[in-house]
Amino acid sequence: MEKAKTVYKKRNFTNRIEILDIILLIFLTIWALLIIMPFINVIGISFATEYEYYNSPLILIPKNFTFFNYESLIMDGRIWIGYRTTIIYLLVGVPINMFLTVTMAYGLSRPNLPFRKYFVYFIVFTMMFNGGIIPLYLLMKQLKFINTMWAVLLGAGLNSFYLIVMRNYFMQLPVSLIESAKLNGASELRILISIVLPISMPIIATIILFYSVDRWNEWYYSMIFVRKKGVLPLQLALRSIVMESQQSEQFSASVTGPRKFSEGMKMGAVIVTMLPIMCVFPFLQKYFVKGILIGAIKG
Amino acid sequence: MKNQSVKKKGVLIDIWKARELFLLILPGIIWYIVFAYIPIYGLSLAFKQYKANLGIFRSPWVGLENYKYVFRDPAFMESVFRTIVINFGRIIFQFPFPIILALMLNEVRVNRYKKILQTIYTFPHFLSWIVIASIMVNVLDSRGMVNAIITMLGGEKFNFLGNTRFFKPLLYITENWKSSGWTMIIYLAAISGIDIEQYESAKIDGASRLQTIWHITVPSIKSTMIVLLVLQVGNIMTQGFDQIFNISNPATAKAGEILDIYIYRITFQGTADFSFSTAVSLFRSVINFIFLITADRVTKALGSDGLFA
Repeated sequence: MEKAKTVYKKRNFTNRIEILDIILLIFLTIWALLIIMPFINVIGISFATEYEYYNSPLILIPKNFTFFNYESLIMDGRIWIGYRTTIIYLLVGVPINMFLTVTMAYGLSRPNLPFRKYFVYFIVFTMMFNGGIIPLYLLMKQLKFINTMWAVLLGAGLNSFYLIVMRNYFMQLPVSLIESAKLNGASELRILISIVLPISMPIIATIILFYSVDRWNEWYYSMIFVRKKGVLPLQLALRSIVMESQQSEQFSASVTGPRKFSEGMKMGAVIVTMLPIMCVFPFLQKYFVKGILIGAIKG
Repeated sequence: MKNQSVKKKGVLIDIWKARELFLLILPGIIWYIVFAYIPIYGLSLAFKQYKANLGIFRSPWVGLENYKYVFRDPAFMESVFRTIVINFGRIIFQFPFPIILALMLNEVRVNRYKKILQTIYTFPHFLSWIVIASIMVNVLDSRGMVNAIITMLGGEKFNFLGNTRFFKPLLYITENWKSSGWTMIIYLAAISGIDIEQYESAKIDGASRLQTIWHITVPSIKSTMIVLLVLQVGNIMTQGFDQIFNISNPATAKAGEILDIYIYRITFQGTADFSFSTAVSLFRSVINFIFLITADRVTKALGSDGLFA
């Protein structure tokens, strides 16, 4: 009786298209366009000639398509350094992140850990109160990590929020699974590796994604801790291209070497920096969403 | 007497039994001690006079001396004021937006389009502010896309970027552009948890769409709203560095100097007095902590579980 009523009501609902629906769709579509159009504009400028840009900056698809800006970028070289550094950050940093996060999250998820509550307070306190960048800088100096990637990667070694999300997930795993393994004499490490990790792949994948995006977008610690040339992460390479372009426009008469279309090169650099995230995001979106939901349920 | 020694022995046995777990969490604990707690101790530099050759631990104590100079710097008090004003404005102009988006998106019947919209809205959140600022600086430039559209429609070019009076709206709009989609997802999740029966009975009672939204959907996400609002208020001293650092230029630099930017400027641009900077940092951390704890208490008083474990 109940079910039939519900089905009937649902069908009735979807048949009516009100004025409200149309207004909503218009607003939502406008907002979507407001987000998409700058990106299309940026892509368009990166493939356009300087002449076309100055005549009509509203470029969506350039009439004179050119790779010139990307060639300038390649010749400039900073993007390569940026890519290289950031990929190293990814390949070294994310494993460090995951190692620290998984071990902590698992250990703190076990009810048989004495003082578990205090460890959690210990962590949560750091989310509310931190020493700021100066003591961290002086510490890195003391540890001789300045100008090395360790300052950046270890400085951002753990994200407490991701840790809590992963811990929540582990805490919801069926107790029986772990208990029976323990009865069979398995060590905690064994349990973690052979039992918990395989069935936790969704959250592991999600947190890996989150950390990867963080390492990809890394710039602040690099700017503060690493002043050496030639080890710029991608974001800072982009920043230097974008900021320098503003100067070279003023002094274009004195620029030696091949003339470059600074705006086009800037936008090319933006696209190149965004590219991996742009390509991968639509497919991985559900992981990001799932991750925040697990975390948000806690909050 | 006997009970106490049995209890103590019990705890020691538990510790021994869980020794593997302790080993597992050891790397993380060491990390927190080294990279979170030692810097917290380093805040004591606020009460010392930093001598480079002596390091933090052996520099001499000078009590509240540093703070005499801190409070005498007009730029400091201005930055604190600016921080509160700008971030308070976020509560009015940024906070409601994801809620409205979520409510609107929830009403969309065509699932395919809903997913597409969601992907579009969420995407910019995962880009760094360096990327977003580069896009904004281009698109909002006097020769950029937005002004081109404005002049095509017959209007006059508007100075979006170098305009101190437009600076706050610029911040709010670009932050919404970047991250409102991400927050919207949290609200959408809360909405999806609402009992379908409530909607059914509203329909039977003859409620209009708008009435349904106002009387059923909105109250059900109230607890989510409170948590996020309280988080926003709790972090009022620390929001915005990444955004403002990347989107401001020499023309708007002063309008955007919030506390974190002030700290950055006096430490890394110009001759650094680490004791002075640390004194300001300590002030910032303490005020931020007070805001967070107060916000946490308020959530608990309003019936929620509180922000933290």
